[in-house]
Amino acid sequence: MAAESQSPSSVKKVVVHLRATGDAPILKQAKFKIPGTDKFAKVIDFLRRQLHRETLFVYVNSAFSPNPDELVIDLYNNFGFDGKLVVNYACSMAWG
Amino acid sequence: MGAKEEAQGTLSSTDFGVAASAFILNWNTICSSFPPWTWVLSRHQVEGYLSLENILLSSTQEEYGELSCPGPGKHPHQEDPIDVDDATLVRTNPCNVHYYDLHIIYCNSYRVPVLYFRAYDSDGESLEFDEIEKDLPAYSKKALSDSKWTFITQEEHPYLNRPWYKLHPCGTSEWMKLLFHADDALAKTGVAIELYLVAWLSVVGHVVGLRIPFEMMKQL
Repeated sequence: MAAESQSPSSVKKVVVHLRATGDAPILKQAKFKIPGTDKFAKVIDFLRRQLHRETLFVYVNSAFSPNPDELVIDLYNNFGFDGKLVVNYACSMAWG
Repeated sequence: MGAKEEAQGTLSSTDFGVAASAFILNWNTICSSFPPWTWVLSRHQVEGYLSLENILLSSTQEEYGELSCPGPGKHPHQEDPIDVDDATLVRTNPCNVHYYDLHIIYCNSYRVPVLYFRAYDSDGESLEFDEIEKDLPAYSKKALSDSKWTFITQEEHPYLNRPWYKLHPCGTSEWMKLLFHADDALAKTGVAIELYLVAWLSVVGHVVGLRIPFEMMKQL
């Protein structure tokens, strides 16, 4: 449930920059715009599909792992910088 | 804390104590509308662990669980769950309410914290895992079914002599290395051991649908 409603014509898009760490494959296209009202789960699912891996560790600003149900716009407003949200991903995790 | 240990994503038991104290202070200040974490000493008064008990982790099939007001009997004041957070969804069927106890206990062999948890209904009856699984957020259920490893196991609580569920620590140091890794951290703020548990819980909390408020993570 969002705190405020957004009119369809003014949904803000967020620039997400996907950064590989460790031995994770680097995406050809690493920058995307996604609607702010999308959940972070969409970013995770996108990564899983692109990399054909189910087990990925996805985190933000090299600091923490967001709850998949967080809205991208909330993450951007709180943790974005230079006009984008930096999302790191790594493989070979035991779970996550 | 040695840079070497930090680079491995692990921490000593002394540092766990330091991180736990800082975490309690942080959480109880920043998340003052939530129930507080407390430090519990073991029988022998030598070791301790973090405890958050009698909490309601409510979820539907679509929404993730949200830390809500505590169950009856343990806390003197109860907030109306609807006022706690506008994203909170509380089960309306009082007969079907599930409470959780969460303990964060240091594991000597892996040198990382481990989450132990148990769930029970309003009569205090322990819940079996298949009932707990229904409470879990969808992404957690998916991870459980997709994973090659069974990462939740049931074993005897290190101090309490009864079976609890535990999130296996085998992968913890791997991902803590990424969240706490040396190059960025040292270059900028030198993220201190005090914040180890915030980073750790941001990941582990996913399993039971515990959402960490942004204010906590902004310190990282």
